[in-house]
Amino acid sequence: MAFDPKYIRDFSIVAHIDHGKSTLADQLLLQSGAITQREFREQLLDDMDLERERGITIKARAVAINYTLDGQVYELNLIDTPGHVDFHYEVSRSLAACEGAILLVDATQGVQAQTVANAFLAVGNDLTIVPVLNKIDMQAARPEEIKEEIMHTLGIDPAEILAVSAKTGQGVPDVFRTIIDRVPPPSGNPSGPLRALIFDSKFDDYQGVITYVRVVDGALKVGQKIRLMAGGTDHEVTGLGQFRPREIACDELGVGQVGYVIANLKQLSDVRIGDTITQVPGAAEIPLEGYHEPVQVVFCGLFPASHNQFDDLRTALQKLALNDSSFSFEPETSDALGFGFRCGFLGMLHMEIVQQRLERESNLALVQTAPNVTYEIVTRKGETLHISNPTRIPDPGDIEEFREPIAKVNFILPADCIGAIMQLCEDRRGVFIKTEYLSPTRAILTYELPLAEMIYDLYDKLKSATRGYGTMDYELIGYRAGDLCRLDIVVAGQKVDALSVVVHRAHADRRGRKLVRKLKGEIDRHQFEVAIQAAIGSRVIARETISALRKNVTAKCYGGDITRKRKLLEKQKEGKKRMKQVGNVEISQDAFLSVLDDTDD
Amino acid sequence: MLIALRTDLPSWLWPRAAYIHVPFCAHKCGYCDFASVAGFDHLADRYLSALEREMGMTLGQPAVVDTIFVGGGTPTRLDPDQLERLMAKIAHWFPLTKGGEWTVEANPGTLDVAKVELLVQAGVNRVSLGAQSFRPALLAALERNHAPEEVERAVELVRGRFPRWSLDLIFGIPGSTLADCEADVAAALALGPSHLSCYGLVYEKGTNLWKQWQAGQVVPVDEETERAMYETVIDRLALSGLSMYEISNYARPGHESRHNLVYWANDAYFGVGLGAASYVDGVRSVNTRDLAAYLRRIEAGEPATGPTERLDAEARARETAMLMLRRTVLGIDRNDYELRTGYSLDGLLGPALARFVDQGLLEDDGQRLRFSREGRFLADRVLCELV
Repeated sequence: MAFDPKYIRDFSIVAHIDHGKSTLADQLLLQSGAITQREFREQLLDDMDLERERGITIKARAVAINYTLDGQVYELNLIDTPGHVDFHYEVSRSLAACEGAILLVDATQGVQAQTVANAFLAVGNDLTIVPVLNKIDMQAARPEEIKEEIMHTLGIDPAEILAVSAKTGQGVPDVFRTIIDRVPPPSGNPSGPLRALIFDSKFDDYQGVITYVRVVDGALKVGQKIRLMAGGTDHEVTGLGQFRPREIACDELGVGQVGYVIANLKQLSDVRIGDTITQVPGAAEIPLEGYHEPVQVVFCGLFPASHNQFDDLRTALQKLALNDSSFSFEPETSDALGFGFRCGFLGMLHMEIVQQRLERESNLALVQTAPNVTYEIVTRKGETLHISNPTRIPDPGDIEEFREPIAKVNFILPADCIGAIMQLCEDRRGVFIKTEYLSPTRAILTYELPLAEMIYDLYDKLKSATRGYGTMDYELIGYRAGDLCRLDIVVAGQKVDALSVVVHRAHADRRGRKLVRKLKGEIDRHQFEVAIQAAIGSRVIARETISALRKNVTAKCYGGDITRKRKLLEKQKEGKKRMKQVGNVEISQDAFLSVLDDTDD
Repeated sequence: MLIALRTDLPSWLWPRAAYIHVPFCAHKCGYCDFASVAGFDHLADRYLSALEREMGMTLGQPAVVDTIFVGGGTPTRLDPDQLERLMAKIAHWFPLTKGGEWTVEANPGTLDVAKVELLVQAGVNRVSLGAQSFRPALLAALERNHAPEEVERAVELVRGRFPRWSLDLIFGIPGSTLADCEADVAAALALGPSHLSCYGLVYEKGTNLWKQWQAGQVVPVDEETERAMYETVIDRLALSGLSMYEISNYARPGHESRHNLVYWANDAYFGVGLGAASYVDGVRSVNTRDLAAYLRRIEAGEPATGPTERLDAEARARETAMLMLRRTVLGIDRNDYELRTGYSLDGLLGPALARFVDQGLLEDDGQRLRFSREGRFLADRVLCELV
């Protein structure tokens, strides 16, 4: 028997990173009796090592909690969401499965960029917002000030804002009561044809694809024949269950219930996130409103450091794609780097995570090219091309218009840092939109920036310029024409395609000079002189020379030295692992990444 | 710790060579990172007793060897009685095969007629003299406390008493010029050695010289000059009939250091004394470098070994290639290599070696691989890819 929808509440917690989302989730589990005090530990919901290390929840998960209030048992479904800007998309699909959201704000840090972004997402999904201040037990907590900020930025009545400590549990019973009182119960039709929203999926070695669903209408039952409406494929439900927080199998999921479905799906690509599950026969006619496809905004080439690992890399990428449908890869051939893959990511953090996971789980040494964005190019012939690989950009003579993606970026930062960040944005061809004050000491600064100018290190720069207090969030707003050109790098007479970058023509000379100087520092000396040139088309705009290595020999090696000398040599060898042979020249991984580093030296 | 003598094993598993370390010095030179101590001469007798005990514990019974090398420190810093006692014990525990090589290191200024005679009587047939330089300013930069004339005096004592003797030189000393290097080589040659060890100066971590360099008080010779010095050494010595046979060693044919060739063949060796390394039956071990700890442990009847290491077969084969290539004439002989390591050279390292042949750093005559002339200057570029 399915649970009476009247007593079900489906909600998420949205917060800026580190504001205590996972701790609050654990505290809710603890106070409802789902876990014991012993099991109450931080980040219970995060089960991937990498996430735990970084304190980020990447993959959404859902937990069903039974809670008794005034003698009535309620089923509360908490759907977890990722906190980082790169995973905006995953947040939105989790929110679509909820009626309410706890907006969690750190009482010591106040409103941050992702607080605002996530709150707007929740409001945009028509969710009831339950505002909660966390960490009120801390000495540095400033609850009254932060309530003001929340009112200023989000228009929320300070009287509605709850105050809790997720760590100690103080105030958490009020959170339960407010969710039950204010978040509406699910409103679906229990007797209508089945419609269930797929909001996530994961791959399990033993059970195949496990999809996470929220039932909107009707009921899901074990043994039932179901259809994926967009995919058009039919399956039989072999398993159903909920996470409490451990997997507990059940026979049926009714309206408003959230859980997992196992239905003989072999691979993740069989399931489209946002698809609707219905029943056969008697299928629903209209699917639920789906999600947007994830937008990949950052691209880079990944190449195995040694040629014979291409197949291993392909296998590793395929394996990773089983659990992360939001990154893409396709084979790429580089003159310089050989065979590899062009990969697309949701953002820089996503890229880093994928790369680390590849290396960690598959023991591959990778060479990564500098990340870049997708350009839109209108050719003289009138074609519009989308190019995410600088080497594929046509000759300047064939380009009618060169367009680049533009992002609207909101910075929330201490008011005394506005000047520094404005300078940073101006240097990166930003267009100032507005400044708003949250309080006399904090402001929101809005700029439109070329995406290419921000992907590499804007976040780090922001953090250092604001002593860690600044936060940012962005959304893509479209393409804009720019005076852009491709800057090529020629090493020892050979163009190294993987080092090409797109730059604004006005900055080309300066960037070219800086780049060859950087590369001079990154490329080891060889037996011969190595010339490094930067060129636009056939015009060389900068040149540096790396002098030849003249002497590199360990003078002494007797009985007592052998182990130590061998280890020194092994260390040198380790450093060469990530080198790529381009012509006669060995180029290190750092050199490939240095092309985007715009810092002054 | 008693080990059974396994003379049935091949030379790369069972030692035919012994190294004995004597750590005492008059003072510590600025560049020296060996296990050496100054101001502890009062412990010399205790140390010699410990050495005897260690040889007894390690061997149980005398082990016949082809080469003995007594190094330091300054072995000849011992007074004649001590030196005589040391030589007798070495001769007891490590009986030398007929025609074997027995080398003792000596510093100019520590040798006299009495010591020379007792070394000759003990059966020492090779002396290695640490000259380092003949330029007073450069000796000062190295914090050597002998004068150039003392080298000549030592050579006069040694010449004619030992069938073979060698000089050590260092080039690339801070403040030195190419002309200094040429002068040093000429001065060394004028003494008529049949063997020379010429090292490019290494700033070993922790030494005085290294500290001065880190603090910016000492400026290393620039790479171009150092290379020119190295070329000068190689060419000048070759002209005088001393050909390079290892990265830093030169000899008239037949006068190579047989003991050191053991290391570069990756053969086994015993090592006794403070900080001494041994390589027996595939296991490398090193004694503690702490004199007090060494004495305490040996006197308690315990081994003084610190870290030990046993490489797997492939790592050992790679290490063998790395060591053998240091031999600039012998290089790596494919058959010898396979016999010793069980690996075919080309099967294990073929692609890397071929690349270096292409780059002109190695020469391959089908049987042997050796460094080309250019390869000698950039040896580490090659060696680091073999390990």
